[in-house]
Amino acid sequence: MLDRTLPSQPALLARIPGVVVMLAVLNIGFAWASPGFLSLANLSNVLAQSSVLLILALPMTLVIMTEGLDLSIGAVLSLASVSLALVAVATGSLVLALIVGVAVGAACGAVNGWLVAWLRIPPFVATLGMFGVAQGLALAVSDGQSITGIPASVQAMYSGAMLGIPVPILLMLAAALAMHVLLYTTPFGTYVFALGGNREALAFAGISQRRILLCVYTLAGAMGGLAGLLLTARLNSGHPSAGIGMEFDAIAAVAVGGTSFERGNGWLPGTVLGVITIGVLRNGLNLIAIPSSLQVCCIGVLVILAFVFEAFSGVRRGEPR
Amino acid sequence: MSATTLPAPPRLALSSELMRISFRLLAVALLCVALSVASDAFANQANIMNVLRQSALLFFMASGLTLVVLTAGLDLSVGANIGLSACVAGTLMKSTGEPAYAVAAALGIGAAVGWLNGVLVAVLRIPSFIATYGMLWILHGLTYAYMAGSTVYGFPRGFRQFGNGFFLGVPIPVLVMLASLIALALFAGRTVWGQQIYAIGANPVAARLSGMPVRRRLMLVYTLSGLTAGLAALVFLARLNSAEADIGGSLTLPAIAAVLIGGTSLFGGVGTMFGTFVGTLLLTLVLNGMNLLQIDSRWQPLVTGVIIVAAVWIDIRTSGRKT
Amino acid sequence: MQKQTLLACVAALALSPGPAMANGETIAVMTKNQTNPFFQAERVGAEKAAAQLNAKVLQYIPTQPDSIPEQMSQFDDIAVKKPDAVVMVPVDYKAMVPGVEKLNAAGIPVINATDRSAGGKLVSFVGANDYDTAKATGEALLKAIGGKGDVVIIEGVRGALTAQDRLRGFTDAIKEFPNVKLVASQPGNYQRLQANQVMENLLQANPHVAGVMAANDAMAAGVLDALTDGSSKALVVGINGTKEAIDAIKAGTLLATGDYNGFLQGCIATTIAIRYLRHEPIIDSIVMHPVVIDKTNYQPYDMPVDKRSCPTWDEIAK
Repeated sequence: MLDRTLPSQPALLARIPGVVVMLAVLNIGFAWASPGFLSLANLSNVLAQSSVLLILALPMTLVIMTEGLDLSIGAVLSLASVSLALVAVATGSLVLALIVGVAVGAACGAVNGWLVAWLRIPPFVATLGMFGVAQGLALAVSDGQSITGIPASVQAMYSGAMLGIPVPILLMLAAALAMHVLLYTTPFGTYVFALGGNREALAFAGISQRRILLCVYTLAGAMGGLAGLLLTARLNSGHPSAGIGMEFDAIAAVAVGGTSFERGNGWLPGTVLGVITIGVLRNGLNLIAIPSSLQVCCIGVLVILAFVFEAFSGVRRGEPR
Repeated sequence: MSATTLPAPPRLALSSELMRISFRLLAVALLCVALSVASDAFANQANIMNVLRQSALLFFMASGLTLVVLTAGLDLSVGANIGLSACVAGTLMKSTGEPAYAVAAALGIGAAVGWLNGVLVAVLRIPSFIATYGMLWILHGLTYAYMAGSTVYGFPRGFRQFGNGFFLGVPIPVLVMLASLIALALFAGRTVWGQQIYAIGANPVAARLSGMPVRRRLMLVYTLSGLTAGLAALVFLARLNSAEADIGGSLTLPAIAAVLIGGTSLFGGVGTMFGTFVGTLLLTLVLNGMNLLQIDSRWQPLVTGVIIVAAVWIDIRTSGRKT
Repeated sequence: MQKQTLLACVAALALSPGPAMANGETIAVMTKNQTNPFFQAERVGAEKAAAQLNAKVLQYIPTQPDSIPEQMSQFDDIAVKKPDAVVMVPVDYKAMVPGVEKLNAAGIPVINATDRSAGGKLVSFVGANDYDTAKATGEALLKAIGGKGDVVIIEGVRGALTAQDRLRGFTDAIKEFPNVKLVASQPGNYQRLQANQVMENLLQANPHVAGVMAANDAMAAGVLDALTDGSSKALVVGINGTKEAIDAIKAGTLLATGDYNGFLQGCIATTIAIRYLRHEPIIDSIVMHPVVIDKTNYQPYDMPVDKRSCPTWDEIAK
């Protein structure tokens, strides 16, 4: 059995990952089938639409690498969305809204981390519980309604642009870069890898597993809060259930991207590609206007096919079968 | 757990199992007492029968799911499976007037879908989370296309008795629930196949090394899960006298919750059918109580979430089980 | 010829057929989900209207029912695809406003159907008045139970505009009858199963319920199922005018249903879209009068949706 705590990046590129093949095929197919697909406006749309999901999927990769799951992230996003919307409407301040959103998210994430790391509750169960709690709180705080009256400063987070590039795309890039640096160059990243494949090493090194786990889940929650801000900006309102369901999309994106559920080997670029693949699929299907029921089937087929590709492409990311 | 020895067969763990189930039964009893005190409407025969009948639906979904979770897997597609099975069976029954066709269709489609899940998981080695999640979407798409936004309703009287009828004062779905509870509990706890399922969950590597036909057992488990979904579809049809494309979807997470609250571990190898039954009761009692006490149903997810975490935590404390 | 009872005439508008301008326009129709028969009826209405007027319809439905982010993405995608006009039912009447504004910015005319959007530039609104419909339907129930007794409301999805308006309509109807007591009001989320279980549970606490107001027909059906088991003689009303409800009225189990005609809304909204593109006169807001369908007047409604045809412009007026 390969015994490694860091991925060896040249080995990752040795075989073309399934998600790259999938993305290429989809792009070519849609470009041929629909003239508007390759336009700058449309591609920009696809990226912007994927931004919220990517911000959720990045920390989800880390969580899955620690052999966990975060089922609550969609509900946490919604709770953060309504909380920061209330603050934004009351104060008109983007900064305050951001702080509140991230704080609410981080708090929920911290509770998740505490449940998993200290009370030793399986992540599926702990985050499923938090899903219910966050959803209930979001409905209570907002009374089941959208919260409108969002100030322009917050709206600009989605609709604005800097240097001609839409803000959500910039945020996506920033988040992906930050995560990449965090995971692949910092000691913290090493510990996260260790939590996935080699927990004994952590114990020997005297690092507290619990603290790392707590950090991972808190980070996931905090980014859920950031995603909440972005979604609120996009919808121009805080909504108590707009994010529900995104957690499964995020998990699917991570899996499509090649991160393994079992041995906790994470491949962050794969997650980015996975998110974009899903975005391209949805966008393309809309553009060629096939019946919605068929679109639903296609999404399911994509998720399964991506995995089959991975399985038959031989080596899983850094781990023999 | 050591990698080279098979775990002891479930029977030896029965005493700790008994303890865990006792805790849960105690919780159910306490809840019943509390509800009787809080609301006059709770402790009468009609309401109790209601609770049992409502829990029957949930139990059918959760029972097959229990077997899947015992193998350390998950079946996210049960709800969508029910939707497709119920819609096809319902339209068939409506157009032919024969409930027999409906029964065959529902059970057949349910099992076929389960079998497909089994192929994805056992043969193609796709993680069950992903395989059943993808299957969920595919099933939804098929159901939407098939139903085209319409509802099918108005089934023959005789068939409806299956959902609304009584036998010896007990609602028929409850009797079916108890029958399947006994059947599945015996299957899981007392047959060789059942023991093998526990073993696969507890230690898949050892199971494979010991020469067990793991792949076939996994396929069996997923097919059973699909079969019970088909049964649930029939109960839905009989109960609601109708079928729409999105039925069953809202019960998937509660079904998983019921399994977890019942003490079945996601890591496989631990749990019982009776535990799932108790978990189902607990969840249904909560909903019933909330309606009786006029508590807004928006609090239901929160209450369910807390109960799930609490139940599993108590489990972990009392059984000394490590994560 | 079926809907004359609904709409009064506006003479001036009715009599200008106009030359048929560019044919083959593409209208994008956005609805909330694939599962609710109401939206299916709306889609069929839209297709019929387009077929009658030589135009084409593209359907946009979220893959995840009622998904707000998905519908938002559909607004983006439609802005790129640039159909000639858009008929839209917003998943959330407040949250979809930025999407409407995006279409406005792209210069695509938007016609709003069913749920009145809270913002954005709209060519027209076509819908029913949930409040009035609910109030009329509620009054029908209360009259039928003799103006006294216990009444239960099964609400829709909290936070949805239709549910809020219908609830207000029901409760205001109750206020008009001082001898009627509202004993419970619980959400059924527009779902049959949920309404069924809620009603079962409520019957335990309130066995002498005289009437039930359900905010939509699916829930009314669920309520009826809960009632057939026991000895309750409660009367039930719903809203939507679905085929199932009509059948129940025929069979005598359902008292009445408020007409909330998806097919017609789809027809009219699409007709307006096409007329607007052809520079023909339109009406900027059509709110359908409340009609309560019961045993006396159900015949015109007893036809399956695909067999109906859209009224011509002459028949459509406020």
